[in-house]
Amino acid sequence: MNTWRGLRVLVVEDEPVVAMCLEDILDGLGCEPVGPVGRVAEGLALAERENLGAAILDINLAGERSTPIAEALRRRGVPFAFASGYGTAPEGFETWPLIEKPYREADIDAALKALLG
Amino acid sequence: MIEAEPGHEPLPVGEDEFRMIADSAPVAVWVTRLDRTRSFVNRAYVEFLGVPYDEALAFDWRRIIHPEDAARVLAQSVAGEASLETFDLEGRYRNARGEWRWLHSTSSPRRDAQGRHIGFIGVAHDVTEAKEAELALRDREAQLSAFIAQSTAGFAQVDLEGHFTLVNDRFCEIAGWSRDELMGMRMLEITHPDDRDRNRPLFERAVAVGTPYTHEKRYIRKDGSIVWVNNSVSVIRRPDGEPFGVLAVTLDVTRRREAEARLRKSEESLRLATESAGMASWELDLETLEGEWSPNRFDLLGMERRADSRGSFDDWIERVHPEDREMVRTAAQRCLRTGRPYTIEYRVCRADNREERWLQSHGSRIDYEGKRPSRFVGVSFDITDRKRAEDELRESEARFRTIFEQANDFLVTTTLDQVITSVNPAVVAALGYAEDEIVGAKIGDFMDPDQLAVAMAAFEHKLREGGTTRLSVTVRARDGRPLIWEVNSRLTADAEGNPTGLHAIGRDVTEAKRAEAHLRLLVDELNHRVKNTLAIVQGIAQQSFKGAVDPATARRAFEGRLAALSEAHNLLTREHWGAVSMKQIIGDAVAPHGDAARFTIGGPDLPILPKTAISLALAMHELSTNAVKHGALSQPEGHVAIRWTCVEREGRTRLALTWEERGGPKVTTPTRRGFGTRMIERGLAAELGGAVVIDFRPEGLVCTVDAPLPEGAE
Repeated sequence: MNTWRGLRVLVVEDEPVVAMCLEDILDGLGCEPVGPVGRVAEGLALAERENLGAAILDINLAGERSTPIAEALRRRGVPFAFASGYGTAPEGFETWPLIEKPYREADIDAALKALLG
Repeated sequence: MIEAEPGHEPLPVGEDEFRMIADSAPVAVWVTRLDRTRSFVNRAYVEFLGVPYDEALAFDWRRIIHPEDAARVLAQSVAGEASLETFDLEGRYRNARGEWRWLHSTSSPRRDAQGRHIGFIGVAHDVTEAKEAELALRDREAQLSAFIAQSTAGFAQVDLEGHFTLVNDRFCEIAGWSRDELMGMRMLEITHPDDRDRNRPLFERAVAVGTPYTHEKRYIRKDGSIVWVNNSVSVIRRPDGEPFGVLAVTLDVTRRREAEARLRKSEESLRLATESAGMASWELDLETLEGEWSPNRFDLLGMERRADSRGSFDDWIERVHPEDREMVRTAAQRCLRTGRPYTIEYRVCRADNREERWLQSHGSRIDYEGKRPSRFVGVSFDITDRKRAEDELRESEARFRTIFEQANDFLVTTTLDQVITSVNPAVVAALGYAEDEIVGAKIGDFMDPDQLAVAMAAFEHKLREGGTTRLSVTVRARDGRPLIWEVNSRLTADAEGNPTGLHAIGRDVTEAKRAEAHLRLLVDELNHRVKNTLAIVQGIAQQSFKGAVDPATARRAFEGRLAALSEAHNLLTREHWGAVSMKQIIGDAVAPHGDAARFTIGGPDLPILPKTAISLALAMHELSTNAVKHGALSQPEGHVAIRWTCVEREGRTRLALTWEERGGPKVTTPTRRGFGTRMIERGLAAELGGAVVIDFRPEGLVCTVDAPLPEGAE
């Protein structure tokens, strides 16, 4: 489970309990969670500033879309996956991986493999 | 002009009168030959066309058929002629004044003596409205002179016993014997045997009393042929007055007689044709108001046919429905008095079965030049079927009109060019335009271009495939509101099946569509919430069972957290997932953990959003369970105060909340921070976008929140 040792993964998830859950999963996979953040502005700041290996973006953030963060990550060449309980990837990102909530460790691992493998 | 000379017997009444009747009647009558050229048309026919008689004979009537009727009328005409049976046509024709008139025509085949088809005889009456007949006499004398004008008189003189004594060349020519032959013969010898009995007493009386006479009879010529002559006979006297011979002025009238015979035949067939078209005629003496009725006039009135074919004005009036009698009598008497023709529609009660029938009659007075008395002539038709059809049509129209007016559905008719020709009140009410703003406009005036394209695609489909289309289109009301209509439409067609327009029935489904969209949103939202809640439950479970905790303890913690989540959901559901009361959320979250007396809850009742409410509820639950296990609520006298206020800082309103425990055991800072602490310090802080700090003071735990006013509370 230490495949991703030291990989810095940005966690953008607005539901605190769920964010903690994702943090713990990433932690278990050996990643180093960055965040979590639940607002677009905070996520954008980290996406532009932090040294990131990957990112997982909840699509809906308290009524906002996480698209601006996705665009910032794309500009920086940071691989990322979307996460959603229900729905599809935002327009322009249809080919990006989509992780369905609730989060499962196997899904996260597979998504990271798809992004980085 | 010779026949008109005084003393000559007038032509038998009949054929010419009939022609006059035909001419006087406001019905068009024509006779065609086998090659379809016309040999006779009547005055009404000529007047309708407004061209000279000769042109009328050759007129191509196809030119004046209404374009909408042309194909049908022509096809029916061709079929009718081919059938060699009586056939009817009905259609609109343009008269000389450029008006369209509905004509109903009946054509009957003509046959010669051998029964061979020799053409058609047709009558057409104007069924558009009663049309006043215009009468004019034809020049009867001129007509007749055509038969005989070229003749010059022959002269023959006989003695009192009838022996020829003197003949002129013309007489020899007429009689067909030479002078020498005639000189040895008696007048009666060359007279046709059938005419002798009539001739003899006239001759004898002339000899005995001196009475002159004029008669017509036949001579048998030497070659066996027969010649008809008109003889004016008078006695020749000596100067002393003693008769010595008899002089006959002889005219050859064979051609005229033949013409008459032809006319009589023509009259017969014309009468048959008109009768087969349901046209009955009458011809009454103006003085006595009695005269001849056509046989079918008796039939029309349900009376026995009379052998002498005679009927009277009173016979007729008696059959007229009492309610119409006054009107009928007035019209007829005015015609008799002033000569003004009339056309009337009235009811009669048939004599035989008392059945009520509708008739249309055209009556007119024919005035002759000279001494002949005027006559009252006319024709009648049974129009009961037409009247009933009209009544039924009117009722049917009224019925449909009512449906049209009262339907809640939208009813629209258009031309093939999408010009709206009618709408019902429901359309007017829905669109908010006046009816005259809609009728005459195009459907595109009430649709956005993309919607018009949808409608036009359906229209093209109907043109190609026929049938009915059903589609939803958005139309624009006057105030710009979009209305979603579900429209069923089909093309209307004429008798030949050619499309003439469009009928559409629509229904407003705006509300239904809105409800449908709303429902879909609800389902999507529900799915979203369920997934979100599952994610939260997953998170709670993961946090509760993490690490080396006692399974029973972990389960209790998990159940408590689920209960807190459930309680928060109950409140959210009661509030329909709108903003909820902060006081309520906090109260509900702490209530399972102690009596109300152990809590002081105070602060402005701020409304907060559902998502924030859940985080707040879970945080309060974590604080409460901690207080019960390790804090103030583990002691009977312990107490928790939860207070919040709105404070102004740097021009912004912020929330300041404190959870303060008192009366519990001495507090020590825990060595390990669990889910509760993490949930509060990080989760709630992230949720509120502020800072949450837990201070493990010895006298009691204090948790402070400093955050912007939560969304929904501004």
